[in-house]
Amino acid sequence: MSGLVLDHLVKRYGAFTAVHDAALRIPHGQFVCLLGPSGCGKTTLLRMIAGLDAPSGGRILIDDADITETPAHQRDFGMVFQSLALFPHLTVGENIAYPLRIRGKSKEDQRAAAERLLSLVRLPGVADRPVSKLSGGQRQRIAIARALALSPRLFLLDEPLSALDAKLREAMQIELKQLQQQLGITTIVVTHDQREAMTMADLVVVMSEGRILQAAPPVEVYRRPANAFVADFIGMTNLLPGTAAGAGRIAVGGGTLDVSDANIPADLVLSIRPEDVKIHESGEGANRLPGTVTFIRDLGASVEVRAEVAGQEIVAVTAPKHRPAVAAGATVSVEFPAEACVVLAK
Amino acid sequence: MHKNSPAKPSRRAVLAGGAAALAASTIGFPSILRAADKTLKVGVYGGYFKESFDKHIFTEFTKASGIAIESVAEPTGEAWLVQLEQAARAKQAPADVSMISQTSMLKGQSVELWAPLDEAKIPGAKNVHSHLQNRYPDGRLCGVGAVSWYITLVSNTKVFPEAPTSWAELWDAKHKDQLGLLALVSNSFLLEVTATTFFGGTKMLDTEEGILKAMEKIAELKPNVKLWYRDEAQFEQALKSGEIPMGQYYHDVTGLAAADGHPVRSTFPKEGGINDSGSWAVSKASKAVDLAQVFIEYMCQPSIQALLSRKVGTSPTIDAKLTDLTPEEFAAVSSEIAPIVPRYDLYQEKADWLSQKWTELIVG
Amino acid sequence: MSKPSPRRLADYAPIAFPAGMLLAFFVVPFGIMIAISFYHRVQGGFYEPAFEFANYERFLTAFFGGVLGFSLGLSSLVAVVAVLLAFPFTWLLVRQRRQVQVIWLVFLLSVLSLSEVIIGFAWSTLFSKTAGITNLFVALGLMDQAVSLYPSFGAVLAGMVYQAFPYTVLVLYPALSRLDPTLVEAARTLGASPFRAFFNVIVPSLRNTILATIIMVFVFALGSYLLPQLLGRPQQWTLSVLITDQAIYQSNMPFASAMAVFLVLVSLGLVGLSLLFGQREKA
Repeated sequence: MSGLVLDHLVKRYGAFTAVHDAALRIPHGQFVCLLGPSGCGKTTLLRMIAGLDAPSGGRILIDDADITETPAHQRDFGMVFQSLALFPHLTVGENIAYPLRIRGKSKEDQRAAAERLLSLVRLPGVADRPVSKLSGGQRQRIAIARALALSPRLFLLDEPLSALDAKLREAMQIELKQLQQQLGITTIVVTHDQREAMTMADLVVVMSEGRILQAAPPVEVYRRPANAFVADFIGMTNLLPGTAAGAGRIAVGGGTLDVSDANIPADLVLSIRPEDVKIHESGEGANRLPGTVTFIRDLGASVEVRAEVAGQEIVAVTAPKHRPAVAAGATVSVEFPAEACVVLAK
Repeated sequence: MHKNSPAKPSRRAVLAGGAAALAASTIGFPSILRAADKTLKVGVYGGYFKESFDKHIFTEFTKASGIAIESVAEPTGEAWLVQLEQAARAKQAPADVSMISQTSMLKGQSVELWAPLDEAKIPGAKNVHSHLQNRYPDGRLCGVGAVSWYITLVSNTKVFPEAPTSWAELWDAKHKDQLGLLALVSNSFLLEVTATTFFGGTKMLDTEEGILKAMEKIAELKPNVKLWYRDEAQFEQALKSGEIPMGQYYHDVTGLAAADGHPVRSTFPKEGGINDSGSWAVSKASKAVDLAQVFIEYMCQPSIQALLSRKVGTSPTIDAKLTDLTPEEFAAVSSEIAPIVPRYDLYQEKADWLSQKWTELIVG
Repeated sequence: MSKPSPRRLADYAPIAFPAGMLLAFFVVPFGIMIAISFYHRVQGGFYEPAFEFANYERFLTAFFGGVLGFSLGLSSLVAVVAVLLAFPFTWLLVRQRRQVQVIWLVFLLSVLSLSEVIIGFAWSTLFSKTAGITNLFVALGLMDQAVSLYPSFGAVLAGMVYQAFPYTVLVLYPALSRLDPTLVEAARTLGASPFRAFFNVIVPSLRNTILATIIMVFVFALGSYLLPQLLGRPQQWTLSVLITDQAIYQSNMPFASAMAVFLVLVSLGLVGLSLLFGQREKA
């Protein structure tokens, strides 16, 4: 297959296994985010792809060629480090042209490449400045430009935006995505920020405790999480334990609900996003459970209602115009629409 | 100066073993002077010498004379001379009698630091070798030889089965990189050795031309020198192992090493060993010149000189025939061959010129 | 909140102790040494207070110029060689596990605690014909016959580099352990082999550290006076050896002081020059 294939990669440090049996196929031109909490093995996985850490088992293939043993400097991948790793003794231009210098390109070529890449990252005219004279956002762009200097086969970024403030981070996410689309380069970004992953990725790879839990497009990861961890990690969700109760039915919170899922395990967890939960002032109906409002807050763009259903707190978010006429302490009827219920194995 | 440095363990062990024998030694001290309440402060080189004198000599002296001894450790180099001189200006004497190197004796004489001694009170001084009777230019006695020792031609017996016989051996081209010699003009006495071996005696060193001529000759042996040492320990081990199989070294220490089974020997070359020494001298500020003279007379006794040879390893400052030293005991510390006596006057009068020329000679 | 600048005498109290120590144990002795360097030497005696330049005049000759030049050259060479060896060593060391690093650092500290005498004797044994390393080469069939490797310039250099090495590592260690390890990784992903990355990223980015270390080791090496005696020929005796001879054996304190003052001034001058040079290069 063309593209990058991770064939059952394992990384162990003594008794500790950092990455368990990671298998993944990434077609060319994809923007991939490795997403997970800190310590989940995502950076280790990226470093194995880059050739900076040697896998303890498994293979890495690119366009069917096994590169597991190829040293980092022969892989032709561009990488942006969390620390950015700009060379302090070189100017901006020299930093960007470093890979060309290594390959013996002429001073003119180096100069031209630096200027071209600086305009690519929209930072022209700073080639002669020392890197220490630049702002955080500017350094970010320089690191990106340097990693792209040789038109690498793979563009790897390890938490590239974590040092930036929230506003700049959002802008850079969009810019990075646009740059990737413009260049069509296969890109893998490590991040712990699910919003960042959702913004940029074609493929989100959710990891936890060294394992890949799900690799899917962002919407699918959000709508059809593979398990309770993914559901909880990606956005906000309500998780309710339950059991199977016949075909298309589950028993949760003292009642039964219809669900659209066909495969229902015996022991299960129901995941439902807050925006899908509906609060009714009263009345009976299908897929409803009785509850008591514990807390309401108006967030301007939305209204959040917290209700206790069979001893468990359920969060519901609605648009202000659909605000239910209830107050804390009121008894309400909480609806779990069948098409919004995701049944996950416990 | 080697006699000032801290004692050698091997030597100390020898001394400890001999302590019992000492008690039995007979001291025929004739003086009738009994002065039980008198105390004499005696300066001796700190370390090995002070320990040995405290242990073997001073107690016997007090027993024989009734004069208590308060021994004072002298610092090395010329510092003691300077202290004595400055104290004398203030009419003080840190020590009444001190053991003084020959160069310092001369320096002290130049400022009349030493009290003249009454030869009638020290009849034994007549027996002391004439070069160890320190006198003012007008003939007054101001110092009497206390101890002397030899620097000789030493060699490793494994490397050289035949003992060398002459200092000239040092110049032989076959000894390239084989010698260990003392590094300084004022402690190696190589000028005197050269003058005696090649130019008929140390008289030639009277003139600067003569000294420069001797230095030219010394320049010829430079390729043979592997180590110019300042501290004994630097050379002794290399001599024992054969790494530096020949050189100049202390006769008594070499004898002790040989007795311990090391393949080393000390040879008195036919031109003579280098005889370095210290004298007893009394500060002019001392109020105990009489007691000091009693002490010096005691130290001149043949039996005490023999005791020093046996227990401290020094060579007698009197004719050995006057002592009861056996030929073996005598050979352990001295030789019948006439010694090369250092030209201490040079190191007083031309100190800086000599050290400058010497450094240029060695380093250049 | 910024601290108010000290106003009253009492505000300076915290620095009184270090300042006092500096004064008592550095400034005063150094001042005495400068004063004595102008005193009058009394040949065959000691010295007396005076103000004369005779001691400096005696020093300003081709002979002492040669010795001074040799001493400075030797110390520079020792500093450069020690840094050349210690830099890659320290670089590898800081990448080891903590435990391995601690073991090495303790070992280096214990080497540093060895006196010059012990180092000198150890190396003269190692370089000797009777018990030295050439015997090992003979046993391995690399040489026909054991030889003595000292006294020689190489032996002096080896001894002094050995003495300076732990010091050099300890000076380099903090800077190298603080250096971002991703710098090399970045260079590698950009196409540089580890060897190349070391030379065109690590070395240049620590240029100032390296220069400062060379200067410190240079000054450290200048004080060595036993190793040149034990391992070298008189031609390899440094000015420190001659200063010792004058001070200890000739009791010529004024001349020894003059030489020492001159050595300090020349070293300070050289250090200043190299700092100036380093500064300009950086700008």
